[in-house]
Amino acid sequence: MASSTAPDLFAPMPDLDVAHGGPGYPTNTGISNTKLAMWLFLGSDCLLFGGLITTFLLYKDPLPGTGPGTDLFDIPFTSVSSFVLLMSSLTMVLAVAAIEKGDLRGNRIWLAATAGLGAIFISGQIYEFNAFYEEGLGYTTNRFSSAFYTLTGFHGVHVTAGIIMLLSLVWFSFRGMLNQERAEAVETVGLYWHFVDVVWIVIFAIVYLIPVAS
Amino acid sequence: MSTLTADNATDAAPPHDDVEREKLYVIVALVLAALTAIEVATYFAEDFVLWGWGWGDHENFGVISVLMLLMAVKFWMVAGFFMHLRFDKKLLSGIFYSGLALALLVYIAVLLAFRIFDSGGHMSPL
Repeated sequence: MASSTAPDLFAPMPDLDVAHGGPGYPTNTGISNTKLAMWLFLGSDCLLFGGLITTFLLYKDPLPGTGPGTDLFDIPFTSVSSFVLLMSSLTMVLAVAAIEKGDLRGNRIWLAATAGLGAIFISGQIYEFNAFYEEGLGYTTNRFSSAFYTLTGFHGVHVTAGIIMLLSLVWFSFRGMLNQERAEAVETVGLYWHFVDVVWIVIFAIVYLIPVAS
Repeated sequence: MSTLTADNATDAAPPHDDVEREKLYVIVALVLAALTAIEVATYFAEDFVLWGWGWGDHENFGVISVLMLLMAVKFWMVAGFFMHLRFDKKLLSGIFYSGLALALLVYIAVLLAFRIFDSGGHMSPL
């Protein structure tokens, strides 16, 4: 009778990721399927935001007599929000670094900090939308408002989804379901979070700063 | 019989030491913060002589160029260092930047469809 030596699926594995100095995964591309799938999603998401930014650029000047436009922007306030989101990318990458070296407590702290900074950003966006609405800029007020709210709203939904994913990781970690061997899960969520940040880098310049400057 | 082999080429080798890697992340974040401060400074120092450089209908070409350049550098730094594209396989860079290039082509296609270049750069009211 053969001895029952079932493989331990959760046994520690060496880090195969090329980005961490590993030899590469045993796949045709040498990249793990999870990571490749996330990058394909992010590549396609570029097209979504490309379309939304294009629409905004076409409609950024409201037709005369149809209500306010970029003159409502509060650049100092939005700058602080942008800085908060930018710094959340640092806490995210530190969360990835923490779990890769087996520091589970540090990982939880950095993940929670990232979610907290994301929540501050979203709170700022809700405040901004509310302030604009009170100034008479509703979703259908003019072509500028529709394009602006759709673009920044879609970005806000992405940030909110990211916060939910981050909090889920913290919950998984407390339940003992997230450890060094599953660091890739944190890295994959991190890729999504950094993407949300780079999209905001583009929005902040193209939607807020350039129209106000020109 | 041919076999598929993975090409492990990357733009740069990742830092192996944990402390060195975290130090790199903090330096990148500080540079990003400084670049953001310069971006915001263009709003507060709106009378700076270089910002208004331009010609004809292209006023403020100077400030727009600076903002676009800063945006591109910040984008590249986050994608390269925080998303590890510099240290990862070039296939991933290809996937991501292909998406960006397609998005740019969509923008150009829409501009052409709206005949934006025929109306002097401004979309005429419908």
